[in-house]
Amino acid sequence: MAAYNFIRNWLLTIFHSSLHLLRAILYRLNIVRLIPTKKNSMPKYYHDDEAWADIEPLPQDDGGLHPLAAIAYTDEYSEAMGYLRAVMAKNEFSERVLGLTEHIISMNPAHYTVWLYRAKTIPELGIPLKDEIAWLNPTALKHLKNYQIWHHRHTIIDALGSPEGEPEFISTMLEQDSKNYHVWSYRQWLVKRFDLFNKPEELEWTADMIETDVRNNSAWNHRYYLVVGGRDGKPSQELAKREIEYTKTAIRKAPQNQSPWNYLSGIIRAAQLPKSTIKDFALEFADLDRPDEVYSSHALDLLAEIYAEEESSRAEAEKALNLLATRYDPIRANYWNFRKGLLDQPKLTA
Amino acid sequence: MSLASGPGRAGMSSMPDEMQLFVDKHVRYIQSLDTRKDELEYWLTEHLRLNGLYWGLTALHLLGHPEVLPRGELLEFVFSCLHEDGGFGAAPGHDAHMLYTVSGVQILATLDAFAELDERVKDGRLKIGKFIANLQDPDTGTFAGDEWGERDTRFLYGALNALSLMGLLHLVDVEKAVQHVHSCANFDGGYGTSPGAESHSGQVFTCVGALTIAGRLDLVNSEKLGAWLSERQLKNGGLNGRPEKKEDVCYSWWVMSSMAMLDKLHWIDGDKLTKFILQCQDPEMGGLADRPGDMVDVFHTNFGIAGLSLLKYPGLEEIDPVYCMPRSITKRCLGK
Repeated sequence: MAAYNFIRNWLLTIFHSSLHLLRAILYRLNIVRLIPTKKNSMPKYYHDDEAWADIEPLPQDDGGLHPLAAIAYTDEYSEAMGYLRAVMAKNEFSERVLGLTEHIISMNPAHYTVWLYRAKTIPELGIPLKDEIAWLNPTALKHLKNYQIWHHRHTIIDALGSPEGEPEFISTMLEQDSKNYHVWSYRQWLVKRFDLFNKPEELEWTADMIETDVRNNSAWNHRYYLVVGGRDGKPSQELAKREIEYTKTAIRKAPQNQSPWNYLSGIIRAAQLPKSTIKDFALEFADLDRPDEVYSSHALDLLAEIYAEEESSRAEAEKALNLLATRYDPIRANYWNFRKGLLDQPKLTA
Repeated sequence: MSLASGPGRAGMSSMPDEMQLFVDKHVRYIQSLDTRKDELEYWLTEHLRLNGLYWGLTALHLLGHPEVLPRGELLEFVFSCLHEDGGFGAAPGHDAHMLYTVSGVQILATLDAFAELDERVKDGRLKIGKFIANLQDPDTGTFAGDEWGERDTRFLYGALNALSLMGLLHLVDVEKAVQHVHSCANFDGGYGTSPGAESHSGQVFTCVGALTIAGRLDLVNSEKLGAWLSERQLKNGGLNGRPEKKEDVCYSWWVMSSMAMLDKLHWIDGDKLTKFILQCQDPEMGGLADRPGDMVDVFHTNFGIAGLSLLKYPGLEEIDPVYCMPRSITKRCLGK
């Protein structure tokens, strides 16, 4: 550890001295490369680049180089950051700064400071926002779960004032990970920002996503947002009927699937319909007279709720809950037993 | 604190039948993280450094070995991340952001160092409090992460967490924040990052945590949410974050802490979950992974151990489900 610190301090001394020649030689000989980078391309340096000759890089202030904080970078990253700190200190916004941010982002896309500076640079230079989006697309595909990239995209598209091209981009992203939370949140933001609630393509696209994977909870949530959640007021009876039929078809494809059952209950509640509306449907998957042939624990759950609300079906409700606690969902036995306990409590009269 | 994953891998076949928590191994693992600065991943995770310190420190407290990280050096590092405006960056030279400010405050609280903060920086606590308060959106009540305005219920929770630890909740409009959280409740009983966003266990934790700090759990449909949370348990005992997703040790924390706040922890099978978490350990080199067979890291190590603490695993310090900090420390800060 001591030896490491010694070498590091020694290297730092060289870095900050005027011995440019020696520094250049060390870089060329690869002596300063503390860590091999994963990239295959040639590293890019600034100290021997004519275009950057006027900039003196600012060193990293990492709190006094005590062991817990000292950070070892690759020399390429470390040098680029030194130049970034220098241009930030003098508020420079230029083409070369844009290139520098791109370089740093390619090495470490999670560094939020560099994204923020890039976002400041774009309008200062008058760069067409569409160009920025075109640059951003492949970067986003490489880093699917990065927050900074999405925030940057929000900023640019909001300023651009048009969602054109975004659905296609989102489809490409979802091909990599169809449940990516960032992508779906972004899609919701687009719907709201550009009022796409009544655009038929939006609902069709959501239906396609559900068709592709009926278990995609993100797609079901987006559908709910489009149909009910993002709108004011209660859905019309006609709309509720359409959604109930749509969901029934999806459940018949895969009865043991939480998402559409949640969706179905959500629609019924939003439209203020009685749960008994879907009693016969639930019975298709869980008939208490044939306890060996239960195809969905969610149907049993729903039936237990419906029976519990009925005047004289307490025994049926208990039977459904017992089946859940002992056979069809025993890992949550305590929860089902809690529900059984509720059966004996006096019902609240409306 | 290095967030580089590995070196170990969570065991599968080498695990003994009689499961146990390898306390000493995990202590040594966390201690060793600091000596790995020559690895590529070390600087790739620099943007999480202050979070990493908080995770490592919390896990060590829960394991009963708070002394193994040097307090003085930890404080030096934390103070070196503090900006003039009262916000903390992830590491020196990084911009201030809500997420790191919360970790900074949590570390200072854990180390009982608020007095040292005020000695170093005049009105230090108030300064941090004002940085946080300035990030509240006066129209909606939610919070941004930084001056650039990304908004998320994570930031709202973080704000209430840090402010309450410092006794400065009065700096923000708590009622407005509460109404915003309430507007994020979904049709399935869960909560997302913003109104209408998909329910996600991590966001459920932030929303239920914020409401608990504000004393407004009355707004939660705790039976419906408790049922949704208990549905996160899979047959192998592990918990997932959303329907039809894979199990992951960190959800042991997000899901269980929420259930604990709602007093519904008994709705999942604790024995099965304990077994699952223990299977995610590396029995030789220490540390926990997201699931058996994967590389360990300090994030999953902390949340796995925190989960075991909620499950009352013998020998672990009690964790506070609202703050993800040792209960003895939140008692001292909150006076309750």
